[in-house]
Amino acid sequence: MIMPLLKGLGITLSHLFKKPVTLQYPDEMPEVAPRFRGLHALNISHDKAKCVACYLCPTVCPAKCIKVEAGEDENHNKYAAEYEIDMLRCIFCGYCVEACPVDAVRMTQTFELANYKRADFVFTKDRLLEKK
Amino acid sequence: MVNLTIDDKKVTVPKDATIYDAAKSAGIRIPILCHDKKLHPFGGCRMCLVEVEQMKGRLIPACTTPVTEGMIVKTTTPEIINARKLVLELLLLKHPVDCPVCDAAGDCDLQNLTYEYKVNTNQFTDEKFNHKIDYENPLIERDMNRCIHCGKCARICDEIVSFGAYTFINRGIEAKMGTEFDGPLNCEFCGSCVSVCPVGALVSRPFKFKARWWSLNKVKSVCSYCGTGCQLTLGVKGNKVLTTVYDENQGFHNGQLCTRGRFGYQFVNSDKRLSTPLVRKNGRLEPATWDEALAAVAEGLKSAGSDAVAGLVSPRLTNEELYLARKLFKDVLGSNNLDHSAGYAHSALSHGAMESLGFAASPSTVTDIQKSDLLLVVKTDAYETHPVLGFEINLGVKRKGVDLRVISDKKGKLSRLPKAKTYVYKPGNEILLVNALAKVIVDNNLTDPSAMGVAGLEEYNKSLEGYSPAQAAEVCGIAAEEIIGLATDYAKADKALILLPLGLGYPGHDKALAQALINLALVAGKIGKEGSGVLIMGEKNNSQGAVDMGVYPAGNGKGATDIIASCAAGATKALYVVGENPVVSYPNRKKVADALDKVGFLVVQDLFLTETAEKAHVVLPACSFAEKDGTFTSVGRMVQRVRKAIKPIGASRSDFDILNELSSRLGGASFADSSQVFVEIAREVAGYNGLTYDKLGDEGALVPVAVKGRFVPVAASPVKAEAGKYALVTGSALYHCGTMSRFGQGPMHVCPEGYAEFSREDAAVLKIQDNDLVKLTSAGAEINLKAKVNMRMPKGVVFAPYHFGEESINNITDGSPVTWVAVSK
Repeated sequence: MIMPLLKGLGITLSHLFKKPVTLQYPDEMPEVAPRFRGLHALNISHDKAKCVACYLCPTVCPAKCIKVEAGEDENHNKYAAEYEIDMLRCIFCGYCVEACPVDAVRMTQTFELANYKRADFVFTKDRLLEKK
Repeated sequence: MVNLTIDDKKVTVPKDATIYDAAKSAGIRIPILCHDKKLHPFGGCRMCLVEVEQMKGRLIPACTTPVTEGMIVKTTTPEIINARKLVLELLLLKHPVDCPVCDAAGDCDLQNLTYEYKVNTNQFTDEKFNHKIDYENPLIERDMNRCIHCGKCARICDEIVSFGAYTFINRGIEAKMGTEFDGPLNCEFCGSCVSVCPVGALVSRPFKFKARWWSLNKVKSVCSYCGTGCQLTLGVKGNKVLTTVYDENQGFHNGQLCTRGRFGYQFVNSDKRLSTPLVRKNGRLEPATWDEALAAVAEGLKSAGSDAVAGLVSPRLTNEELYLARKLFKDVLGSNNLDHSAGYAHSALSHGAMESLGFAASPSTVTDIQKSDLLLVVKTDAYETHPVLGFEINLGVKRKGVDLRVISDKKGKLSRLPKAKTYVYKPGNEILLVNALAKVIVDNNLTDPSAMGVAGLEEYNKSLEGYSPAQAAEVCGIAAEEIIGLATDYAKADKALILLPLGLGYPGHDKALAQALINLALVAGKIGKEGSGVLIMGEKNNSQGAVDMGVYPAGNGKGATDIIASCAAGATKALYVVGENPVVSYPNRKKVADALDKVGFLVVQDLFLTETAEKAHVVLPACSFAEKDGTFTSVGRMVQRVRKAIKPIGASRSDFDILNELSSRLGGASFADSSQVFVEIAREVAGYNGLTYDKLGDEGALVPVAVKGRFVPVAASPVKAEAGKYALVTGSALYHCGTMSRFGQGPMHVCPEGYAEFSREDAAVLKIQDNDLVKLTSAGAEINLKAKVNMRMPKGVVFAPYHFGEESINNITDGSPVTWVAVSK
């Protein structure tokens, strides 16, 4: 009768001397894995977004959270005049990165996406370009 | 019939079929890049290589090899697959593979085949092409770096469009598709080349980068410009019509479109579209609610009284809407004052054919064109008013050896077809010439036995006195022998078809001319046979439907001309204009504008704030064809389905909704949707009996007619030439149809403003050159137009199109076939 109780308390007691599995977030920040799929970012090359607005990411996106509008620049080339990701819909599957034929979109290690307004969850091209 | 075996399947096909056709009929797909069902086989791409048991030792191209009895064909052996892979590797050697930025991706034959044959690597290496890309014109972009040399663009331009803008230039690895002197493209811009291009070498600039092919919602509908009734597929995304998608299996024309159909769709999503009702308050048009606007309209129409209310309804509406409009006027408002197209552009059908044949339609259909032996085209403008029927004529002449004769007041593109003969008469003498042709037939005992039993023959023969070829020759300016030759050839041809284009631009082409032509066809026994007869080509998409639905004055009702006159006199107090723009399109602008100013209550229901709508008391925003369901009836009497592709723009409502709502506000019948109206049409309108939307399907249904011909003698009215003046003839420009095409970017890129065409002789006398501004003066009014000098115009004749609002030609015309104008620089 008393033995199982002591055995249980023993386990509890032993944990007092172990390193805790929880993290004191936000005082302590977690170490994010290199392949973590966080907030998206648009890659830059020659001071311009690499994206050529091929529409493969909105096509493959299972959550339909990416919106692209193509434009024609002065050299008649295609570029993304608009590029928006709605983070409220995004399921962070990473298919967009996989589908991209020109390595224009990647996923960063940023995971702190909380915000006050719904509108703030829509990441426009400018906001996505700022991400390092 | 020939029997053969393809991949162990027994196939029986006609003896003129190729292996490719035979396989297709058996449901076996052979990959191919250079083939289109409308074009002659080419054998250029070598993708369709197959193995034939009897021709072992080499691979045979399926698309150019005719079938023979007992052939045993294999379409997929390892050897064939390797050969196809090699072809793809060689094509990809030079192809830039820029699929992410190429608009063809998704609809690209090369891309699809590369994927299908898993061509991941290339055993060859070479530099890519570095050709200059042609961005010069606003409609077609040519990137010859992507070209795979299938030659389809050159062939469709030559075989069907008969323009010949492209050809192969240079040889070997340097060969490419070139244009005239390798310069920028300068053609009709029908976009046929874009439609058949298997890769993205030719792309539509208005659609460039707008959407990917796979994201488009494809909606089958019918073109809303001319009366040909071309079926088209609208590419829709996000409530916007972004493009027209090519489908080679659509309609009699196999997906072939003209420049308006292919590039003129932008009016649907134009920024200028009206999005809210407007009501005139304190002299200005102010936005209003639908309730307010409709209450005002209902009150205005009702209070005017049945005699003083009139309507002008556009034949661009669907059959259901036209039927509702007719019902609203006849049953609810108690008025017969309803008309369209200035009263004359439909009278060839509604009055001419009605009296002469017993029904208000053409006795022939569109498919008769290629089945005929001789085509007699009235005016070369048949090509400009109905370009896709023009393509049918091209095909008839070039493929079927149809003898093309054109009687016209000027030469045109049709005159340049192989062996085509154009008889250029002095403007305004159409009826005289047609009567002279009939006279020759009667005098030379060429009258067909079938004409003997037709009522009124004797009277008709008598009426032809005074139209001898010699007399006609003097007036028309065509040699008597030529008239006799033409009449004899026409009468002796086994099958002969007359084409008569109509329209607001052709005031002379009305009842009288149609009857003269029907008489000619009757006397030569050409009506009621396949490949023969008369095809009266109404101008607008539903011109035939408007006539079928009875949108023209009946009984004591006033026609368009009388409506305008009674507006001016103050007798018509309320005028309801649906989709028409009389200020620009009806003859005599000043008279029309003054008349509309005098109307006590003017309602205009349109897509845009047109010149007419600006005068209105209430403007109701209506919907385009892409925003509604219904049916159109083509010139060949084909009833075809129009399908809703997008939601109405802004607060606009379809004409159906507006007319329906007005009808119920005024105490008339109301319908739940257009299909219910069609049920009533099928019950009430002759020829539409038994039709339902389901029966129409994708193909459409032909309205049957029963010919009960009779001769109606027609007298030619003499044309009084005015000394020192030029004969102005009006008509359609190739890029425009009515006044709506002005709101499509495509047509406006190519033809943004009115112009006047002069012959070289006249230009030399007047010392004018291309693009000089010339002043045309008639009856106290003048307009300034840019000059175009060319070889097609005869001396003393000027041509100007009618579509444009500024410097519009109706400032100086008054509805007579020829206007005599003074020309100065």
